[in-house]
Amino acid sequence: MLVIRAIKMTDVDALIEMARQAGSGMTTLVPDSKMLGERVETAVASFAEAIAPEKRDFMFVLEHAGDGSIAGVCAIKGAVGLTEPFYNYRIGTLVHSSRELNVFTRMETLYLSNDLTGSTELCSLFLLPQYRAGFNGKWLSKSRFLFIAQFQHLFTERIIAEMRGFQAEDGTSPFYEGLGRHFFKMDFNDVDGLTGRGKKSFIAELMPRQPLYVDYLPEDAQAVIGQVHTSTLPARKLLEQEGMHFEGYIDIFDAGPVLQGRVSELRAVRESVLALAEEGVPEGETEHVLVSNTRLPDFRMILTRAVPGAARVALSAQELAQLHCQAGDDVRMLSLNVRKNVNG
Amino acid sequence: MYVVRPVALADIDALEAMAAVTIPGVHTLPRTRASIAASVERSIASFAAHVDIPSEESYQFVLEELATGSIAGTAAIHASAGSTGTYFAFRNDVVRQVSRDLKICHSVHALTLCSELTAYSQLSGFYLRNRETAGLEAALLSRARLLFAVLAPHRFGDRFFVPLAGVTDSGGQSPFWNALGRKFFKMDFLDAERVVGGARNRTLIVELMPHYPVYVPLLPGGAQAALGQIHPSGQLAFNLLTEEGFEADDYIDIFDGGPILQAHKNSLRSFCGSVLRRVETAEREAAPEALASYALAASNERSFRAITAACPPVETGQTVSLPKEAQEALGVEPGESVICVRI
Repeated sequence: MLVIRAIKMTDVDALIEMARQAGSGMTTLVPDSKMLGERVETAVASFAEAIAPEKRDFMFVLEHAGDGSIAGVCAIKGAVGLTEPFYNYRIGTLVHSSRELNVFTRMETLYLSNDLTGSTELCSLFLLPQYRAGFNGKWLSKSRFLFIAQFQHLFTERIIAEMRGFQAEDGTSPFYEGLGRHFFKMDFNDVDGLTGRGKKSFIAELMPRQPLYVDYLPEDAQAVIGQVHTSTLPARKLLEQEGMHFEGYIDIFDAGPVLQGRVSELRAVRESVLALAEEGVPEGETEHVLVSNTRLPDFRMILTRAVPGAARVALSAQELAQLHCQAGDDVRMLSLNVRKNVNG
Repeated sequence: MYVVRPVALADIDALEAMAAVTIPGVHTLPRTRASIAASVERSIASFAAHVDIPSEESYQFVLEELATGSIAGTAAIHASAGSTGTYFAFRNDVVRQVSRDLKICHSVHALTLCSELTAYSQLSGFYLRNRETAGLEAALLSRARLLFAVLAPHRFGDRFFVPLAGVTDSGGQSPFWNALGRKFFKMDFLDAERVVGGARNRTLIVELMPHYPVYVPLLPGGAQAALGQIHPSGQLAFNLLTEEGFEADDYIDIFDGGPILQAHKNSLRSFCGSVLRRVETAEREAAPEALASYALAASNERSFRAITAACPPVETGQTVSLPKEAQEALGVEPGESVICVRI
């Protein structure tokens, strides 16, 4: 049985191993023991509410309840861009028009911006390959929304997720080759590496400060603006189902989209319910649901079957134990899958 | 012997014949009889005008071969670029990209639409019929405009510039235009030049051209290669102007990417190297090695004339000794002053 729970200091070693397996491209999960150790410390302090909300960084692990091994990780950063600048390109429009010549030209532009500063960020999702089956990936990703739904007051109204941008088969980024390379004279992987080690703002400072006309970029660079890496497509779809969407912000290096959502509009916030836990066997039309306890310091979540939206949820003794709950406690519940025809 | 003089109505036929062989997009001469006539009339009115502040005046000169009376070339100077509007150009900026932390330091070129050349005086419309075989008269034609400015400084600004035609192919395609202007104008280079009438001061330029810098590394190779390069036909003018003291590299044309040469008048040889001398008649033939070539212009601005002549060095004396025919060509008598500069 698997359980998602708040990270602990004892998870650091497993986390480093996982970061090693994640490889390059995961800029928010880098196998650097000092960095990860500090990050877990921050996470533990976050769950304990020992640091200010904007400094919090909630990390969750997917634990195999049998042997206590760690199968996956994901995180929610309280606020981005408050200690070092958080850069994106905003896609804008400039119209160049002359009545005299009857010419009307609509130009897409890229504005270097810090607009997303202060947003809550979903990041660092990684699942070990041998666990990429069933609902694990989906559950791990969506677990964060249920957490946000339970503790809305801890987050800013805007949630973002940076998606990995398109890369060619040889691992190069057409967008980077068409733009960034002219300004850094570095390989994409080197830049990506620096980004992961928190040097992103240094690099961003080398970017052109003035808006760019998209039309000047090579066609293959233009074509991948806002496009995700092929392997990231399912993740993007998943987040979009939960109420996040692309609003024209992209990564300054690989042009991957930033998905944005408002907390109040997340499916988890609108559809999750508090229910009374009781010991028993579910009856009626059940489906897969995420069920969590309601305690921040000892947050735990399971995936089970239940009747979504009901006022009571029947759980087995083992499930109650995994949630560190007893019958009669409040739990929060959200169906795993989006209901297809809400309006009939 | 050649003389440069203000254009006259009688020159219209000759100018029309000359315009017929010019290349559109490369030469800035008016091409139709009506526009040539308008340009000549404007020039005549400009010479006659009483000027307090340089404005819409445009002075056109012709190079006349005295023996035949034929017109061998023409050149013009506008008192104030942009006239009553704004003269647009791209400033060639260098942006330093520095990160101490990453030990990165390099330069990126960016083109920024600017109007700094507005109210400079602008040299234009330089055309010589026999460019390949031309001798000193080419330099005379180019320089005469500046000598006129030396004689009548109140008619001009303190700074001068000259746009030179950029690279175009035989079909009139400009690689620079195709990479840049076309994206905004959505038309061919020659069509665009036609609709703006070769001007760089039209409102539609600011309406259509990019407001933000264009980063040069993002332009296609062909456009980058054409940046600041002159059309082959402009080589002579380029050489003459750089010798005069004009500098390239700071500004380029917004349409074809050709260089715009510019200078403060104090760094131009016509201004800083010219002297005013009293005319005296050359008594006898001096030995050729004792002579130097000068461009000479009569100091009476109402009857401006410029010639080249070989005469004994004038730098140390108070006079310049000229043969009779040179005095006649300049329209001066002994005792009158002329301006002299080595050529």
